[in-house]
Amino acid sequence: MTEYRVEGRGRVNRAKPVKFTFDDKTYEGFEGDTVASALLANGEHLMGRSFKYHRPRGVVTASSEEPNALIGTTRGGGKGRFEPNTRATMQEIYAGLKTESQNKWPSLKFDLGAINDRLYMLFSAGFYYKTFMWPRSFWDSVYEPFIRKAAGLGKAPTEVDPDHYASRYLHCDVLVVGSGPSGIAAALTAGRAGSKVVLVDENSEMGGTLLSEPSVSIDGQPAWEWLEGAMAELDRMPNVTRMTRTTAMGYYHQNMIGLVQKLTDHMADVPEGAPRERMWRVRAKEVVLAQGAIERPMVFDGNDTPGIMMAGAAQTFLNRFGVLVGKKPVVLTSHDSAWYSAFDMADAGAKVVAIVDTRETVSQALLDEANARGIKTYLSYTATGTKGRLRVSALRVNPVRNGKVGSAHLLFCDAVLVCGGWTPSLHLFSHTKGSLHWDEEAKVYLPGHKTEDVHIAGAGRGLWGIAAALEDGTKAGTDAVKSLGGNAGVATYEVADDRTGTGITQKELPTDRSAGKAKAFVDFQNDVTAKDIRLAVREGMKSIEHVKRYTTNGMATDQGKLSNMNGLTIASDALGKEAPQVGLTTFRPPYTPTTFGAFAGYHKGKHFEVTRKTPIDSWAEEHGAEFEPVALWRRAWYFPMAGEDMHKAVARECKATRESLGIFDASTLGKIEVSGPDATEFMNRMYTNPWTKLGVGRARYGLLLGEEGFIRDDGVIGRMRDDLFHVTTTTGGAARVLNMMEDYLQTEWPDLKVWLTSTTEEWATIALNGPNARKVLAPFVEGIDISDEAFPHMSVRECTVAGFPSRLFRISFTGELGFEINVPARHGKELWEKLWAEGQKYDICPYGTETMHVLRAEKGFIIVGQDTDGTVTPQDAGIGWAIGKKKPDFVGKRSLDRPDIVAPNRKQLVGLLTEDPKTVLTEGAQIVADPKQAKPMKMIGHVTSSYWSESLGRSIAMAVVEGGFDRMDDTLHIPTENGDAVPAKVTSTVFYDPAGDRLKVE
Amino acid sequence: MNAPVTSFDTVSVTVLPSVARFNLRIAPADLSVASAAFGLTLPTKIGQGAQSGDRAAYCIGPDEWLLHAAEADQQAIVSAFAAVRADTAHSLVVISDREMTIGIDGPDALALLSVGCPIDLSRLPIGGAKRTVFDYAQVMLIRDAEDAFRVEVWRSYFPHVHGLLEIAARELTVGL
Repeated sequence: MTEYRVEGRGRVNRAKPVKFTFDDKTYEGFEGDTVASALLANGEHLMGRSFKYHRPRGVVTASSEEPNALIGTTRGGGKGRFEPNTRATMQEIYAGLKTESQNKWPSLKFDLGAINDRLYMLFSAGFYYKTFMWPRSFWDSVYEPFIRKAAGLGKAPTEVDPDHYASRYLHCDVLVVGSGPSGIAAALTAGRAGSKVVLVDENSEMGGTLLSEPSVSIDGQPAWEWLEGAMAELDRMPNVTRMTRTTAMGYYHQNMIGLVQKLTDHMADVPEGAPRERMWRVRAKEVVLAQGAIERPMVFDGNDTPGIMMAGAAQTFLNRFGVLVGKKPVVLTSHDSAWYSAFDMADAGAKVVAIVDTRETVSQALLDEANARGIKTYLSYTATGTKGRLRVSALRVNPVRNGKVGSAHLLFCDAVLVCGGWTPSLHLFSHTKGSLHWDEEAKVYLPGHKTEDVHIAGAGRGLWGIAAALEDGTKAGTDAVKSLGGNAGVATYEVADDRTGTGITQKELPTDRSAGKAKAFVDFQNDVTAKDIRLAVREGMKSIEHVKRYTTNGMATDQGKLSNMNGLTIASDALGKEAPQVGLTTFRPPYTPTTFGAFAGYHKGKHFEVTRKTPIDSWAEEHGAEFEPVALWRRAWYFPMAGEDMHKAVARECKATRESLGIFDASTLGKIEVSGPDATEFMNRMYTNPWTKLGVGRARYGLLLGEEGFIRDDGVIGRMRDDLFHVTTTTGGAARVLNMMEDYLQTEWPDLKVWLTSTTEEWATIALNGPNARKVLAPFVEGIDISDEAFPHMSVRECTVAGFPSRLFRISFTGELGFEINVPARHGKELWEKLWAEGQKYDICPYGTETMHVLRAEKGFIIVGQDTDGTVTPQDAGIGWAIGKKKPDFVGKRSLDRPDIVAPNRKQLVGLLTEDPKTVLTEGAQIVADPKQAKPMKMIGHVTSSYWSESLGRSIAMAVVEGGFDRMDDTLHIPTENGDAVPAKVTSTVFYDPAGDRLKVE
Repeated sequence: MNAPVTSFDTVSVTVLPSVARFNLRIAPADLSVASAAFGLTLPTKIGQGAQSGDRAAYCIGPDEWLLHAAEADQQAIVSAFAAVRADTAHSLVVISDREMTIGIDGPDALALLSVGCPIDLSRLPIGGAKRTVFDYAQVMLIRDAEDAFRVEVWRSYFPHVHGLLEIAARELTVGL
């Protein structure tokens, strides 16, 4: 038994001692201990150094809002399993757990960084803003590295986290957050009524306050017996699920709550393959928030000395863990609850030195109980200082009479237990953007107008005492069931020895010393003091949002759970305004720090993101293709042979295709079946082109605009029947185009009898291009004649190819004789292999997207999204011919007449040929008319596509240029990174075979 | 066909053989024509299914049905609908190759699907179907029994969905 462990108290398993290490020293605790309770049992309060001043800090709370006792943990002893900033109050111990203190060098007890503490006068509010402003040149080299080094708690992990994180969706009738008396009562009520209930709590066991209040009795049973019975009843109900170690970390729209369940962080032996955490995405019909209240610190000089902690935490350490946090504690309070903590400490064998209360009067019953235990009481007193650096040794107290602080004396002690009132926990409610209501009497914010189907119960809405919590939880449960359309029985609970009480809250405590020199901390985690907040107000910050950002109060990982209300009280005092006029900062998810793993879930490694692959992808991989991502697809980019870089491979692929035969996987192209008697009318309205006269078996280039007249998408469209079009879209545009079409069909033209079905993945599409394309294809085609006369350019037929049912197009995106063969996807690879084998006679060459881009650029074919950017009209792109002039309307038609759309000086798509044919321009480079003009130069356009053309033996480029069509043969200049400018001549965009003779292969 | 199966105590994930699959769009008023052509009375409520032998139909939109049949019957069904097209406007599109089908069976089927599917699966009636998502991928979810489902997913999303189902199925065996 360690020195501070109390026989007969606590819920830890005395039969199971557990050894763990803290800063390489081995400590012993029991199963059920947290790191904090086990260290306290060993008399260790000092657990870390603060963020800014590196002041020694001890544990302050026994719960998840802990601001000080943040430690590094190494779980499972494994590489990559280090976690900084673990809250020692939440981390359960297990055999082999390694923990370490943070923000210290060389050691926790002697830290050189504490020099900041001596220089504290320099580190006032707004310090960063004031100090690091000038000179500008110092920012990158001096200030930022300094701030980065100084900022942050703990050290970031450097290894990849090897753990597995899980996630699931969950639907329930009633989600109850918090398993104190009100949460349990709500769960019992809804569970008994038959609702599907989920009860969650962030602690390792349920019970909340009841775990710290064993002396209360409910329905004639001691609290813990009643608790055991309640848990057993809940577990017997098949409609109730209980989850411990589960934090409701965010409350989102329409009762979607994120829960993070810690599954293995408390285990010495983690089962193989077990996930570390699971994110539950819960959709609850009703939510009961029973989160309780958070005890408020008191603000006075030296209030952060190790050994000073919340009185309620001391009570929890004693009753739940069987640990006395001190043997000679002083209690400093403004709330009755701390008196009971003092009594529990005294009854467990501590010599309580005194109870110091800032209030002038307290109930006689409390005074009597204190007297009975021989505890001195000081009413209307203030605390003005502490002794001790690594551990508190005395509290300096003074009487306050008529607002004047009298002379001080010291109360020697080994712990100070503080209670400055209680703050209802509003965080999750605040996530819903529900309004808050200021309770003038209690000086707290309470839940106000609700925007979700949520009920708040117990101390979370300002109630106090276990009887009140049980009654209110029952009511919340009943209300939830009623909202679900059911009826719940209303249970009543007989509570005896309930320790109800009242209290007040206050600004920083009055002092007889200089308030300007007091290190009276408001925010322990960010080292913000009362004088920082007053300085911020003096320097003009009038809203709490500004005070917060100027001082960083409440901006640490605890989101100001302990500091916000004290900060607000002090700021409103400094401003001479009531708290509601100064405001309250917004709480945002997550409620407590949450791992990236929990958010990422399964999305890592191979499952980081969907990678769509075509039926022919595996062939490309086997043949050494390099891939590039296009939308969610990965596409074969080029097929390098031994020793080839991309440039050489692409040059070879281009040459082979133009000279004989290339084969290309075009399966990713979007495909939409437009079918129905009004299909032609629909196509006429959607696309710029006329479709009425397009014969069955013919294909046409289609251009799609947005309502504003700019190019959205394009593709070749084949007419399969009078009432059926085979529409193709760009790879990235497939889903977007279908959505846009459906949108018009459903909202504008519901009268049209036409239907749309995505067939992108029904078909595998293989493009054959080159003078020998027909020769390789012909032996496989059955059912049609594919000669030039019978099957001219821009034709489509249904037939069989290699025995597979097929839609065969004769089209070309390369300028060569070209075919695109669509077969059911499952046959894609087999057809490819057959064509590949047959194509060997013609030195068939597989090519990827890069060669496709070069070949089309040589012909001046645009790529939507590369040569257009959402501001390019058909006229700008030089494809005004695609507009059906006689059509009464199509999407975007009216916009094409707007004055700015027909203005002469718009950016227009032109070709560029560099003076030096070897120079390949950079895509995206800006263009100027005169490179000698003064900077900043007027930029008149940019390069959209630029390649080396092996066919032409020179570079080619396309660009959008202001008034480009009127600048033919002008020389423009493209400034480069190194300060030069490359001269280039404006040309047509058709660089290769402008007459189109190469399509006409007999 | 020997389907690849990943089987654990409480759930198995199976790649199912292909079927003839169609997307049918038709005005609800004309539904009887479609029922006659398909040889099965098509359900009228979204989410509902109807089965007879190896034919099945699921209503998945106000004017949209998913049809299943034996692969050998695909052409006959296309012809049957083509014969009535002139008189009754509709769209029948073969999508047999668009999707692949994964079977999920066992007491943990619901838990496994809850890994990626945000809807309340307990409300999906047996014999019914729903268009939903599984971890970014649009899927058709068909419920064949209390603990037996089929997931139809577009071919290119199949590796992602199937891979994730296998990871999660393995996770279920740990029991945490």
